[in-house]
Amino acid sequence: MSEMINFTIDGRNVSAKRGETILKVARREGIYIPTMCYLEKTNPAASCRLCVVEAEGVDGMVLSCQTPPTEGLAVITNNNVLHEERTNIMRLYDVNHPLECGVCDKSGACDLQNKTLEFGVDRQHFTAKEQSRKIEHWGVINYDPNLCIMCEKCTHVCNEVIGDDAIELKFGGYKSTIIPKNSDHLDCTFCGECIAVCPVGALVSSDFQYKANAWELERIPSTCAHCSAGCALEYEVKTSGAAKPGEERIFRVTNNFEYATLCGAGRFGFDFDLRGEKDGKKFVAALEAIKAADAIRFSSVITNEEALILQRLKEQTGVKLYNEDARLYREFVTAFKTTADGHAELATAADLKASDAVIVIGSRIATDNPALRYAMTTAARHRGAKIVYMHPLEDALMQNTVTQFIKYEVGTEEGVMALLAHSLLEGVETTKTTAAFLEALDDGYLSAESNVGEEELARIKKQFKRTRAKTLVLGSDLFAHPRAENIAKLAGLLARYGGYRVVVAARDVNTVGVSLICDLDVDGGSNENVVGYNAAGAFVIAADDAADLTVAALNQQEGTVVNLDHRVLPLNVAVGFGGYVLNDLANALGIGKRYTVDFTPELPAEAGFKAVAFDSLENFYSPLGEDSRGYPLDKGKKPAAQQCEAVEELPEFNGTVIYYCDPVQQFNAFTARTAQLDKATELRGSEQFAVAARLKDGDLVVIGSGETARERTFVVDASLKGTIALEPTFDRGIAGRKTAYRFEKVNIMKASNDE
Amino acid sequence: MSLEQFTDRNVQQHYFKVDIEEYPQTGWDRFKQVVKRGLNGELFVGLWVVMREMIKFDIHTVQYPKEKLPIGPRYRAVHEMQRLFESGTERCIGCGLCEKICISDCIRMDTRIDENSRKEVTEYTINLGRCIFCGYCAEVCPELAIVHGPRYENTSEQREHFILFEDMLTPIDMAIKGEQKEYPGFGAVTPNEDARVKKTPLAY
Repeated sequence: MSEMINFTIDGRNVSAKRGETILKVARREGIYIPTMCYLEKTNPAASCRLCVVEAEGVDGMVLSCQTPPTEGLAVITNNNVLHEERTNIMRLYDVNHPLECGVCDKSGACDLQNKTLEFGVDRQHFTAKEQSRKIEHWGVINYDPNLCIMCEKCTHVCNEVIGDDAIELKFGGYKSTIIPKNSDHLDCTFCGECIAVCPVGALVSSDFQYKANAWELERIPSTCAHCSAGCALEYEVKTSGAAKPGEERIFRVTNNFEYATLCGAGRFGFDFDLRGEKDGKKFVAALEAIKAADAIRFSSVITNEEALILQRLKEQTGVKLYNEDARLYREFVTAFKTTADGHAELATAADLKASDAVIVIGSRIATDNPALRYAMTTAARHRGAKIVYMHPLEDALMQNTVTQFIKYEVGTEEGVMALLAHSLLEGVETTKTTAAFLEALDDGYLSAESNVGEEELARIKKQFKRTRAKTLVLGSDLFAHPRAENIAKLAGLLARYGGYRVVVAARDVNTVGVSLICDLDVDGGSNENVVGYNAAGAFVIAADDAADLTVAALNQQEGTVVNLDHRVLPLNVAVGFGGYVLNDLANALGIGKRYTVDFTPELPAEAGFKAVAFDSLENFYSPLGEDSRGYPLDKGKKPAAQQCEAVEELPEFNGTVIYYCDPVQQFNAFTARTAQLDKATELRGSEQFAVAARLKDGDLVVIGSGETARERTFVVDASLKGTIALEPTFDRGIAGRKTAYRFEKVNIMKASNDE
Repeated sequence: MSLEQFTDRNVQQHYFKVDIEEYPQTGWDRFKQVVKRGLNGELFVGLWVVMREMIKFDIHTVQYPKEKLPIGPRYRAVHEMQRLFESGTERCIGCGLCEKICISDCIRMDTRIDENSRKEVTEYTINLGRCIFCGYCAEVCPELAIVHGPRYENTSEQREHFILFEDMLTPIDMAIKGEQKEYPGFGAVTPNEDARVKKTPLAY
C-alpha cells in the first residue's frame, strides 16, 4: 500500500500515493492547475474541464482531477494549446453571463470573475440567444439560473456529504438548470452547504442577498456554538445603518467548504448575540446571590474558561456545581474506559468519515449532531460504508445513508448493547471472565424484550465481516439511561475485543470541556438557593435578555471549547458586548483575572489541556486541508479496569411515549432566538400515534401534568412511523429540559377549546 | 522676463528708502502736522475715485451670497446623486464601492433585496464633517451615479453634518425635463467613450 508512483509534472520529479490524482499531487507540490468545479471533499464532478493537462504518450488531454498518474508519466500543466483550450472554456462560461457584478453577492470572491480576468476574456466571442429564466426562491436559499455555470458542486455536496440528495441537475444543454429532486419546491434540511460551494452568485442566502459585499465584511474565525461537533466557521461582520464603528452586526456565516462542512444551524443561526449594558444593581444582586448560593447550576453552553472560573469558585467557597449533562457524559465515558482497556481513546468525526462500518445507537443523529451525520454520509458515499442505525424511531433524514435500520423497544438499550456485544464478539478471543459474561447472557429474553431479532444481528455480522475500520456512535439517549454505566462498559468490550472505535456524541458545544474541568455534584433538581448560569435557578445569570443578570453569548466572547473530537477550539468575539461577564463577578469575588482568556493556559493539565495562551491558538485549515484549529487534548488518565455487570431486567414503556427531540437546525435557547432558523414547536407524531392517542392533526394538547404541563399543537408527520411522538425542547428558554432519559411516558390530553 | 533672470540665483538687491518726513518733535510741530493733514483735502481724492467708478457703472463685485461665481468643472464640492436620463430612475446600484474606497470612512450605506429581486439602497449617508472631498467615490463609481456637484457651502451647526441620499439625488422633475447636468469632472465619461465600446456578436 505504501508504494509510491514516481512521475514528473512540468519536469519536476514528484511522487503520488496510490489513488491520488494528478491534481492532488500538483496542489501538494504547489503547481497551479486551474479548476472551476473541483471540490476536495467530493468526488470530482469533471464538468468544467479546466484542469486538463497533457501527458506524454497519451493522445489528447487528460482531466487531472480524476486521473491518477502512472509510473514515469510526464505531465505538462501549461502550454499554448492548453492555455487556448482553457481560454475557450472561460469564453463559453462567459456567454450571456449577466453583467451584474456590481450588485452580485459573489463579486469579489467569485471564481468566474477571477478566472475571467486570469484568462483575459474581455469580450464575448460566441453568441447564444438569451433565455428568460425565473429566479427561484427556496426558503433561505435563492437560486438564479441565469448566473449558474453548471459546475455541479452543489449537487455533489448535497448528495455525497450532506445526504439530503435534494437537488439535481436537469439536463438540457444550454438550458440545463439545478432543480429540486422529485419535488417542485426544495425540501431539505437547509444546511446551506450548496450556497457555500457555489463558485458564482447563483445560489445565495436569501437573508444576506444584496445586503453587503464580500470585500466589506470583516471575517472573524470562530467555532460554531450550537452542538458538540464544534465546526469551524467565520462570522462576517460589518456596521449597518447609523451604528458606530465597533457596533457591528453579523451579516452572514461562511466556512471553509473545501475541507469542512457546516449545518444550517451554524450557517443561518448566527444572530443570538445580545446588546448588554452594565447595570451595577443587577451585578451586586448577582454577587450576593452567588455568595449566598448552595449550588451553581450551569449548562454546557459555556467556554472552558468560564467552567474553570466556576471550578475555582467551588474550590474557594465550597459551592456545589450542577451540570447533569456533563456529569452523565463524564460517567459514561469513564465507565467505557474501564472495560475498553487499551482501546479507550475516543474516535473523532474524521475517523468516522474514514470508517467502512458504522453502528449508530441511542441518538436521532441527523438532528442531534448533523456533523456526525455528514461524516457518515461521506463514509457511505465515498467508501461504501455499511451504516447500521439502531433506534426506536426511524429517521427519514437518514434513509439515503443507512444500509440497515434496526428498531429496538424504548428503554432496552442495555439489552441491545449486550446483544450486540455477544453477537459481534462471537468467535473473538477474549478474556475468560468476558467470555463467561457473554456466555451467560440470556439472548432469548433480551431479544424478545428489545425486539432485536437474531437475523438482524446476523446480517450486521455478515456485512461487517470484511470491513476494516469499524466505528460505534453512541448517542445521548444512553448517557441519561438509568443503566448508562453498564451500557458504556458493554461498548468498552466492543472497543477492546471487536476493534470498534467509539464516538460518543456529546450533546452541547462544551459538554466534553466541562466534564474535564469541573468537579460536578449530583443535581437534586431543586431551584432553592441555586444560581443558574445559562441554566435554571432561583437567580439566573445567562446570555438571555430575560435573565436576572445578562452575560455575553458565545459569539461575543473569547474563550475555548472542547468538541467531541477532543480538540480545544478557540471562540472569538464577533460582536461586542457592553455588559458584565463571569470574569467580572469572579474579580469581585477575588478569583478573577484581567481577561477571561487569561485562564486559558491554566486549564487543567491532568485533563489533557496544554499551557497555551489563548492568543497563540490558531483557527484555520491549511490550503491542503490540515486542521490547524486549536490543539488536540492529550490523552487522559485511564481509570482502573472493571467488569461488566449483569444485564438487569429490561424496562417496558407502554402507553403514550414521547421522545424529546428538536427539529432540524434547533438545539437550544440560542438557536431558538435566531431569525432565520425554522422554529417548529409542534408535537409531531405518526398517523398511528394519532389514532392511538385519539388526536387529530392540528389539535391543541396538554402534555404532562403539574409543573411540567405544557400546551402544544399536535401535527401528524407523514415521515414518522410507530407509536412515539417527538416533542421539541429548544423553545423552553434558557432553563431547557432537565437532563434525563429522552423517552418519557406522559399523559397527553386534548386541551379544551372553550374560549 | 527672460530665462536668465529666472535662473539667476545671485539676486542683486536694489533697495531704496521711502521718503519719510521727520517725526514731529515738539507739541507745536505735532499740531502743525494735524492741521496740515486735516485740511489738505486728501480725503476728497479717495472719495472722488469711488464716485468716478460708481458713475461709470462698471462694477465687478459679486453680490455673494445672492450671486455666485461659476465653479470649475473639476472642483470637488458636495456630492450629488445622478439619475438615468430617460427613465429617471436612480443610477446608484448599491455596489458599495464608494463606501469601500472612502479613505476617510465617511460613506455608510445599507442595501437590501427589493420586491423585484433588485438591489435597493435603503440608507445612504455621507458625513461631510469627515469628508475630505478627495473624489475617490466619484472616480470609482461604475455607474457615474455619485459625482461632485458645484455646491461648496456646507456650513453646519455641528461638526457631524450628514447628507442623505435624498438630499443628493437630482429631483425627479429636473431629471424628466432633462435639466440634469452630466458631470464633466474627475471620473466622468471621456469624450471618445463610444469608440471604446466593444460590441457583442449577435448571430441569432
